[in-house]
Amino acid sequence: MSRLVFSRKPARFALARVAGSIMPGAGASFGPLAIEPDEELPLPTPEWVRLKPRLAGICGSDLAMIDGTASAYFDPLVSYPFTPGHEVVADVVNPDGTAGRRVALVPVLSCITRGIDPVCPACATGQINLCERVAFGHLEPGLQTGFCSDTGGGWSNEMIAHPSQLIDVPADLSDEAAVLIEPTACAAHAAARYTGDETVILGAGTLGLLTLAAITARNNDRRGPIVVTARYAEQKRLAKQLGADVVCTSDELPRWVRSASKSLMVGDQLTCGARHVIDCVGSTESMQQALQVVAPGGDVQLVGMPSNVSLELTSLWHREVAIRGCYAYSHADFHAAIEIIRHHDLARMLSATYSLSDYTDAIAHAASAGRRGAVKIAFDMRGK
Amino acid sequence: MPRPGFVLEVDRSTPPIMFWRGENFSLEKLPAGRSRVIYPPEPLEALSDIDGAIRNALLHPIDQDPLASQMFPGMKLTIAFDDVSLPLPKMRRPDVRQRVIEAVLDTAAQAGVDDVHIIAALGLHRRMHEYELRHALGDRVYDAFHGRGMLYQHDAEDHDNLSVIGTTDHGEVLEINKRAADSDLVVYVNINSVAMDGGWKSITTGLASYRCLSFHHNPETLENTKSLMGHRHQSALHTSVWRLGQVLKDHGPKIFQIETTLNTDMFPSPFEFINKREWEWTAKDRATFLGTTKSLNRTPIKLARKIFHGMEGPHQMTSVQAGETEAVHKLTLEHVHRQQLMEVTGQTDILTLGIPFVCPYNPDGVMNPILVMCMGLGYLFNMYRNKPLVREGGVVIMTHPCYRDFNPVHHPSYIDFFEQVLSDTTSPAEMSRKWEKQYAEDEWYKHLYRTGNAYHGVHPFYAWYWGAHGLQHAGKVIIVGGDPPTVRRLGFTPASTMDDAFEIASDVVGRSPTITHLHVPALLIADVQ
Amino acid sequence: MKNSAPTRLHSLGQLRRVVKVGDAASGAVRTALRPIRALGFPYRKPMVPKGVVVPADPSKLGANFETGWARSSAAKAARAVVTNGPMRAFVKVVASPQVVGLDRLADLQRLEETPPVIFAPNHHSHVDTPLIITVVPEPWRSTLVVAAAADYFFDKRGKGVLAALTLNAFPIDREVTSRKSSDELRRLIEDGWSVVIYPEGGRSPDGWGQEFKGGAAYLANRTGAAVVPVFIDGTGSIYGKGMKRLKRGTTKVIFGTPLSPIEGESTRRFNARIEAAVAALGDEALTDFWTSRQRAAQGKSTKLTGPEYNGWRRQWALADHRKLGRAGVRRRQTRRWPDLG
Repeated sequence: MSRLVFSRKPARFALARVAGSIMPGAGASFGPLAIEPDEELPLPTPEWVRLKPRLAGICGSDLAMIDGTASAYFDPLVSYPFTPGHEVVADVVNPDGTAGRRVALVPVLSCITRGIDPVCPACATGQINLCERVAFGHLEPGLQTGFCSDTGGGWSNEMIAHPSQLIDVPADLSDEAAVLIEPTACAAHAAARYTGDETVILGAGTLGLLTLAAITARNNDRRGPIVVTARYAEQKRLAKQLGADVVCTSDELPRWVRSASKSLMVGDQLTCGARHVIDCVGSTESMQQALQVVAPGGDVQLVGMPSNVSLELTSLWHREVAIRGCYAYSHADFHAAIEIIRHHDLARMLSATYSLSDYTDAIAHAASAGRRGAVKIAFDMRGK
Repeated sequence: MPRPGFVLEVDRSTPPIMFWRGENFSLEKLPAGRSRVIYPPEPLEALSDIDGAIRNALLHPIDQDPLASQMFPGMKLTIAFDDVSLPLPKMRRPDVRQRVIEAVLDTAAQAGVDDVHIIAALGLHRRMHEYELRHALGDRVYDAFHGRGMLYQHDAEDHDNLSVIGTTDHGEVLEINKRAADSDLVVYVNINSVAMDGGWKSITTGLASYRCLSFHHNPETLENTKSLMGHRHQSALHTSVWRLGQVLKDHGPKIFQIETTLNTDMFPSPFEFINKREWEWTAKDRATFLGTTKSLNRTPIKLARKIFHGMEGPHQMTSVQAGETEAVHKLTLEHVHRQQLMEVTGQTDILTLGIPFVCPYNPDGVMNPILVMCMGLGYLFNMYRNKPLVREGGVVIMTHPCYRDFNPVHHPSYIDFFEQVLSDTTSPAEMSRKWEKQYAEDEWYKHLYRTGNAYHGVHPFYAWYWGAHGLQHAGKVIIVGGDPPTVRRLGFTPASTMDDAFEIASDVVGRSPTITHLHVPALLIADVQ
Repeated sequence: MKNSAPTRLHSLGQLRRVVKVGDAASGAVRTALRPIRALGFPYRKPMVPKGVVVPADPSKLGANFETGWARSSAAKAARAVVTNGPMRAFVKVVASPQVVGLDRLADLQRLEETPPVIFAPNHHSHVDTPLIITVVPEPWRSTLVVAAAADYFFDKRGKGVLAALTLNAFPIDREVTSRKSSDELRRLIEDGWSVVIYPEGGRSPDGWGQEFKGGAAYLANRTGAAVVPVFIDGTGSIYGKGMKRLKRGTTKVIFGTPLSPIEGESTRRFNARIEAAVAALGDEALTDFWTSRQRAAQGKSTKLTGPEYNGWRRQWALADHRKLGRAGVRRRQTRRWPDLG
């Protein structure tokens, strides 16, 4: 019985950054991530319950943390040492030690989990992703489970959760499907802004594909084509399967958008373009391309987590383009996610599982998932 | 005395045969006993007094009055000329078009004609660059007419300057350049490089609109064009064009057609070996060949392209005739045949073609994958009369690097065509149905065609349709040395060596197929019996 | 004349330096020659006794100047170095020539054995000769003989040697048509040498051309060589007749279609044809090809010799004519913008 722990060790952190820049995922071996024996966590209030994770996914933000590329912005929103893992399907442990209901975790640590009463205005309307109090209350700071030292995380055999964080997994969903509920909820949250006009999704990693799935699962209001950029053959195949009208590489994208939107060109800038661009990559290149192909007055939605980027924003100013972030989800998105997973049978997106002791391999696999033809990698704590 | 064409039966002592490979060459050993190599006729002697011959043609036209007597002060005279797509490679200065146009202008000056427009009849091709116009027309004509706005290029999308002449009994609408349509006399200056050029095709395509061209530039017509270079009755394209020509003759302006033919002396020193038969290569030729190929292997592709496209061919005029279009064209074809026609007996299972660095659609540009297809299956495959050199269901093997490289200035719509259309379908009929309209009407392509130096948006479709008959006829197409993903996108099979290609072909044509190699570049029409 | 004072001061200083150097040099020479001076005949020229008349040598100058050596291969090689080196550089700096119409010579150039031709340019300046020598294309450049006025270029031995060596000048008498020089030129052409003859017979005195003399036409008639009319524009203002110093400028050299005498054409008529061709080229240089052809067809080409009248009106007309050459040609480009609807 063990867990992975991420501690605050600046020297290790720097080493991970160097290693990660040479070989993505190598931060796992050199960085402040280590495997340690399990430790029983105290329950903050009697309401809280203990969970025994079954599967826990590896997310892009986890990889950024491990490779030391995450923004310093998060430092005050995180408490060390913590156990990562926020894409969790788990069993509730009954007081008598038996396994109870199977649940998916809503990892956001909002006012209600922190014992803050009255709750902040965002939480009051259910928009827990916008909660203003993620660093306060009776818990240590931590915007989500998996970044907080008090709650533990999914990459372990034991963690704790507030009952408001639990969503029951319907019996017809396998564990493999259920571990995708959290990322799919993210996608459902992004897809809520889909207007039906021509839409570009940049990147066909987990988030890109799930966002596409979330959009096409609605399937009733599509007026313009959905264009997806994908780098690897397997990603292209999946994107086609999930209902993209056009799948192309990012080099080809401006030409596709140009002909689809019947636009002219001034220099590299399309005169027209896509009304809605969803950036699921979050790099300088992807954001710059988003600005290149977005229509005047259109929206660029950042679903992939950007960090330090440097952008030429003249066209944003000139064409009144909006860039909008897109973080996490509310409870409603989880229920939508279950539907999306059912609709597309998304369990196949889970490409491989590893035991916790093989964490360096698992993280290396996740870091090069696209190239290796994989989508989602997860830890499997179910034992034999 | 130039020797006529020659068909070599390959035996064990035949040296390896030279193949073009884009901006380079290779030597390929063809299997003995069942291969043959077709060497085109050698270049004819050029006319000795070219300017004299031109003057004579203007003074004694066929079935028409002398040019001078057709001109009068105050008339509207339009001179249209063939664009940069020929001759290939470009000829040494002075270009034939310059000589002819200067002679016509001399006549016009004598007759006191003031209103003269000179129009590049480029159809849907790209507009010529200034240096190309200067090369084709000479600096004198360019300087005298361009500044005054009297020398310009046809614009098939300028609807205010197009006018409908009439409609054929098949419903084809003839719509041509308005200035030409309103002229008292149109003088057309042609270079007849290959047998499909010239005649009514000059004006009805060169000065036509997209609408007018789409009546015969479509998959159906081109699949039924069983020989572009051969008899007219085998060519649905030419049948349609001749119908339009009849409308032009009946309802259009008066036309004075001047057609010229060139010999096939295409490559300057020291590249004469390209035109020679391998066993006649001298020590110097062999040294040049080795030096050229070895250094081209190490030359950046852009530089190699610059070198090849910078070549000026020593080809010269072998005939010039003027007057009534059909009568003139008949004579022109005789001269083309005198240079290019040769008899070949029987078809074979495999046709091998070396694809050079240039085709009519990329002068001074990049030979992109679509043009490789067009050159192989559209032009070289069609260099026959009666029946193709390869049997129906046989295999066509081409050699070309087939890189995924495009000239973004000349071929913007080709890039999209490759990425969008070819990844969807390679069938001419299907792409015409699903995609052609979108490309033809795209504002951006129109803009680039009209103001830049881009081929019209629909042109990649035409380039592809050009090979429609070949595509239909061949059982398999293999590109040796081509970039595999690119070749696959074209719907063809990549092979790394000629032996591999023969191995792959054996699925279709068996273990010991017969092989014909067309020794290009020199042009020929194989009269296949 | 604003800045003439400093210039003069500057040149004064220069002059002093030159005089100083000259003094020193002449002193050195005098010292070196002192021993020889002391010696008399036969080391020095004999003195002539009083009352004796020395018969004059037949003149080796003028039209009788011997230039055969200048066409030896050694001289040819030396000339090639001069022509392609300093002379070309000089012409480029002083006249920056623009050369057009070479394509009209392409047919002759293409022949296996390029025939010799006679270049017949108009003549405004001494710059014309180096200019034409450097712009004539090969193979004619290396076999080019320039017919030069015997009385001007070959009046002194040194001048003659220099002209023969660097320009491959050949003396012809412009006053009397001497049998000897024309026969010799004919022989040169038959040996494959091409010739530059200025049919005007001398530089223009006033900026307008002069009537063509029949030399070029006569030679063409006798040898069958083609005459290439050439028009040189702009050298008159670089170093025209009577100018004291060179003034840098731009020039244009325009080659015409080679002309051959038509069967039975007299020298006089052929000469007129050459003159008309050069005049048409002049028009082409100052306007454009189409205008010049139209004017030529209507017999309205501007005459090389200018208007009939004399005096100030002649100069006035010249100024107008020249203006055409500078600005008149560059008609504003009327760009045809496509109508994009």
